[in-house]
Amino acid sequence: MILEIGHFAVITALVLAVVGMITPWVGLQTKNGAWVAVGRQAVTLNFFLISIGMLAMVYSYVTHDYSVKYVFSTSNSKLPIFYKVAGLWGGHEGSLLGWAWILSLFCALAVWIHWRTQPAVMPYLISIESTLLTGFLLLILFLSNPFERTLFIPPDGKDLNPLLQDPAMVIHPPMLYLGYVGLSIPYSFAMAALFSGRLSEEWIKVTQRWTLFAWLALTTGILMGGYWAYYELGWGGYWGWDPVENASFMPWLIATAFLHSVMVQETRKMFMVWNLFLIILAFSLSLIGTFLVRSGVLSSVHSFANDPGRGIFILAFLTFMLCLSFGMLIFRSSKLKSKVEMESFLSREAIFLYNNLFFMIAFIIVFIGTLYPLFMEVMKFQKVSVGPPYYNAVFMPVAWGLILLMGIGPYIPWRKSSVASLKGIVTLPFFVAFCSLPLFYLVGIQDIYALLALSITLFTLTAIVRDYSALAKMWAERDGVSLSRGLARAFRQNPRKSAGMLTHLGVLVMTVGIVFSTLFQTEKIQVIKPGETLALNNYQVKLVELYPVTGVNWSGYEGLFEVYDKNKRLVTVLRPQKRLYEVSQTPTTEAAIHQIYTGHIFLTLPEVTPDASSARLRALHNPLVMWVWYGGGIMGLGVLMNIFRGFIFGPSRNKGVTTPAVVVPIPDNAEIVT
Amino acid sequence: MRQRYVLITLILLSLSSMAFSAPLTEDEIQVKVREISKTLRCAVCQSESVWESNAELALQMRAIVRERVIAGESGDEIRAYFISRYGDFIVLKPQVKGINQVIWFGPFILLAVSAFLIYRKIRVWVKQATKVTPSELAPIDDAGRQRIAEALKTYHTGEK
Amino acid sequence: MKTWQVVLPLLIVCLVVVFYHGLYGNPSYIPPVIINTPAPDFAAPELYEGKEMRLSDHKGKVVVLNFWASWCRECALEHSSLLEVNRRYENDPQFVMIGVNYQDKENLAKEYLEKHGNNFKHVRDYAGKVSIDYGIYGVPETFVIDKEGMIRHKSIGPIIGESYTHLIDKVIEPLLRGETLKG
Repeated sequence: MILEIGHFAVITALVLAVVGMITPWVGLQTKNGAWVAVGRQAVTLNFFLISIGMLAMVYSYVTHDYSVKYVFSTSNSKLPIFYKVAGLWGGHEGSLLGWAWILSLFCALAVWIHWRTQPAVMPYLISIESTLLTGFLLLILFLSNPFERTLFIPPDGKDLNPLLQDPAMVIHPPMLYLGYVGLSIPYSFAMAALFSGRLSEEWIKVTQRWTLFAWLALTTGILMGGYWAYYELGWGGYWGWDPVENASFMPWLIATAFLHSVMVQETRKMFMVWNLFLIILAFSLSLIGTFLVRSGVLSSVHSFANDPGRGIFILAFLTFMLCLSFGMLIFRSSKLKSKVEMESFLSREAIFLYNNLFFMIAFIIVFIGTLYPLFMEVMKFQKVSVGPPYYNAVFMPVAWGLILLMGIGPYIPWRKSSVASLKGIVTLPFFVAFCSLPLFYLVGIQDIYALLALSITLFTLTAIVRDYSALAKMWAERDGVSLSRGLARAFRQNPRKSAGMLTHLGVLVMTVGIVFSTLFQTEKIQVIKPGETLALNNYQVKLVELYPVTGVNWSGYEGLFEVYDKNKRLVTVLRPQKRLYEVSQTPTTEAAIHQIYTGHIFLTLPEVTPDASSARLRALHNPLVMWVWYGGGIMGLGVLMNIFRGFIFGPSRNKGVTTPAVVVPIPDNAEIVT
Repeated sequence: MRQRYVLITLILLSLSSMAFSAPLTEDEIQVKVREISKTLRCAVCQSESVWESNAELALQMRAIVRERVIAGESGDEIRAYFISRYGDFIVLKPQVKGINQVIWFGPFILLAVSAFLIYRKIRVWVKQATKVTPSELAPIDDAGRQRIAEALKTYHTGEK
Repeated sequence: MKTWQVVLPLLIVCLVVVFYHGLYGNPSYIPPVIINTPAPDFAAPELYEGKEMRLSDHKGKVVVLNFWASWCRECALEHSSLLEVNRRYENDPQFVMIGVNYQDKENLAKEYLEKHGNNFKHVRDYAGKVSIDYGIYGVPETFVIDKEGMIRHKSIGPIIGESYTHLIDKVIEPLLRGETLKG
C-alpha cells in the first residue's frame, strides 16, 4: 500500500514535470509571470512527491517487502539495516530514482535561491530542469520501474551484491549523482542565456558555487570509487581506465576546464561562447555517462544489466538533449559573442587558454580510448582492447603539461606580462626541477615517466612555495610581524587564491602518490601453506594459520599473517579473508592493509583450498598510495574553503574580481575624490 | 706472455656470456610474468588484465606466460602467440598499426595543430587589441576612488 | 557557417550512430581469428583410459572438436545433437569427433557423460593448454578441422536447431567430400 502511494506520487511528479516544462514558455509568450510561478510550484511539489516515492521504497526495504521485484533483487533479511537502505541505489531502477530525486532537489533549491535575484533566468531554468526530470521519470516509470511487484512473493531476497556491502560503495553513487546533477544548474543557466539571447554579468558568480559544489561531489565520488576498488576488489590498484570509470572522469575534466576558463570571463569578460560550450559539454558528458553505464554498450566491471529497450530510450533522450543544447549553441551563440581583448601571449588569459587546450586534449584521449573499441566493433573491424597501457603512455604527458602550467599560470598577471617577468617566475622552479633529475636517478628512480612526473611536480611546488614565501615576507615586513604571521596574513588576504593554491597542492600530492604507487609497486603471488613465508621487498610475510570464519551473511576463510621487517621485528598481524556470501553465492576477497611510513602492505587471498591447507596469497607493497587520497582530501579542503570563503574569511574586499597585477602608474594630475 | 692475457680475456668473456644465459631467478620470473600479464586482457572478465584477474582462464593464461618466460620468450613473442589465438582483443595496448595509429598519434597531432591554430588566433587578437592608456584602463567608480583614497592615506601616514 | 558549426553537429551524429549500432552488438563476443589457420596439434590424456591422444593421430580425417564442461548448462543442451552427429558419421573412416573437457574435474565429467550418454572419445585439458591454444574463452565451442588439418569452422554456443543443420549440411558434408567451404 505504502509502495503504491510512492508509485502514484512519482506518476504525479511526471505530470507536474511536463507542466513545469510547458508553463514557463507560456509565461514567456504571454509575458505573464503567473505561468512561471506555476512552474515554480510544480518544481517544488515535485521534490516532495519524489521524496515520497523514495521513502516508500525505503519503507519496502525496511519491512522486507519482497513482493517488490527491485527490493527482491537488491536485498535480503540477513542484511544489516544500513545496507538494506543502501540497496535502494544498488541496482539500476533504484539508482535512477535516486538520480531523479537529486535532480528534483537541486531544481527546487536553485529556483528558490535565485527566484528574486535572477528572474530572467527562472523560466528557462524551470523548463530545462523539468525537461530533464520528464526524461528520467519516463524512463523510470515505463522502462525501469522500481515499484513493480511480482505476483508470487519470494520468501527472501536475492541479496545486495556483496561488493556493494561496503561504506565507501554506499557513498560513491550518490556523490557522483550530486556531481552530475549539480552540473545541470550552470547548464540550465547557459541554456537560458542561449534561449534569451542575453546573459547577466553575474552569471558566473551565481553559478560558481553550484559548479564548485558539483566539482567537489564528482571528485569525491570518483575518489571514493577508487578507494573502494583498492581495498575491496583486491588487485592493489584503484583506477583501471575502465569505461565506466572514464564515463565519470570525462565530465570531471571538462568541469575543471570550465572552472578555470570562467575566471577569464569574470575578469576580462571574454570567452563567453567557449564557456557556454564547456558547461554544455560537461553536462552532456554526464548524460552520455548515464547512457554508457546503463545501456550495455561497453563491457565493463560496472555495467548494469544489458537491455536494448532501455538503451534505445536513453539514447533517444540523450540525442534530443544533445541536439537541443548544441543546436542552440550553434544558432544563438553569435548573439553572445564577446570582443576578445587579448594583448599578449604571456597573459593570464592566454595561459587559461593553453590550460583549456590541454584539458580538451586530455578529454579527447579518454573519449577516444573509451569509444574506440565500440567504434571498431561497429565498423566490423578487428575487435581491439584499449587498456591502461594506452592511457598511461598517452594521457600522462598531457597531465604533465597541465601540472607545468599550474606552476606558471597563477603567477602571470592579467593582460600583459613580459618575458623578463616570466623568467623571474620560472627560473628558480626550473632550476630546482632540473637539478632534482640526477638526484632522483641516483636514488633509484630511473623510469623516464617517473622522472618527468616528479620533476615537473617539483617545479610547480617550488613555484607555489616561492610565491607564498615572497608574499609572507612582504606582509611580515609591512606589518612588522614574524614570517609565519606574514604567511597567515598572505593566506587570508586573498581567500580565493589561497583556496586555489590549496587545491593545486592537493593535485601535486596526488600526483606523487600516483607515481609511486603505480611505478614502484611490488607484487608477489605465491601459493602458501601455514608456516611458510613470502619475501616482499624488505619484509617477510609469514602465514601462521588458515581457518574458517563466518559473518552475518557470509562464511569463508581467514589467514593469520605475521609481517616482519628486515630486523626480524614484528610489524603487524594481518587477517585477509576470502568470503562467500550465502544468499547470492558470490565470493569476495577482503584485503588486509597495514600502513607503514612509506605506504601500504596489502594482502589478499584470492584462493583458499576447501580444507584450508593452503592458499594463494597476493602480497603487495604500495609505496605512498595513501597520498592519492590525502591529495584528494587537500583538493576537497581547498574547494570547501572556496565555497565558504565568505563565511570563513568575512566579506570579500575583492568582490570576486582579482585585482589586476599590472601596476598602473597614477598620473600626477589624477583626480581623487575623497 | 701476451697469449696468456688473450687467453684469460677470452675465458672471462665466455664466462660472462654464460651469465647472460644464466637461468632467471624466481623473483625475476615473477616480475616478468607480472609485466607481461598486465598487458594481456582477461577474455572472460570485463576489462581486467590477466594479472589482476582471479578467473580460471586468467590463471591458466598466467601459467602459459610463465612457461614461455622460462623458455626465454620475449614479451612481444608471448603477446604474438595470444594474438594469434584470440585476436587483437587480447592485448590491452592496441597495436600501433593500421587505423590504431589514429589513437596513438592523433592526440599529439591534434595538440600540435590546435596549438598552432591558437597561436595564430592569439596573434590576430594581439594585433587587434586596443592599446589602452592607464586612464582608460580601469574606469574607476566612486567606491573605487574611495578605496584608493583610503589606501593612499595609509601609505602616506604609515597607519594600518 | 563557421567550421565548428559544421563539425560539431557531424560529430554528434557520428556519436549517436555509433551508440545506436553499439546497442545491438555484444561487447563480450570475440570474433574468431583462428579460422583458416592450421589446427594446433595437442597431446592430452584420454578421459577414461588416460592414454595420450594426439590430434595428429587423426591426420587426413575431418575432425569435429568440441570443448565442453560438466558445469556448463548449454553443453548439456547440445550434447544429444553431438551424439546424433557422431552416430551419423561414425562409420565413415574419414570422420572423427573428439571432445575436450575444459576446466573440470574427472569424476564430474564422467558423471555428466553417464547422465547424457556418450559415443565418442574425450580428452582432459584441466590446465587449459589445449583450450587456450584454440582461443577458447567459454564453453561450448566447436571446431571443424578439414582433412588437411586446417580449421574451417568455429561454433560458439550450443549446436542445436539451425546451427545443427548448418554444421551437417554446410560444413561436415562438404569437407568430407573434399570441397572447400563457401562464405
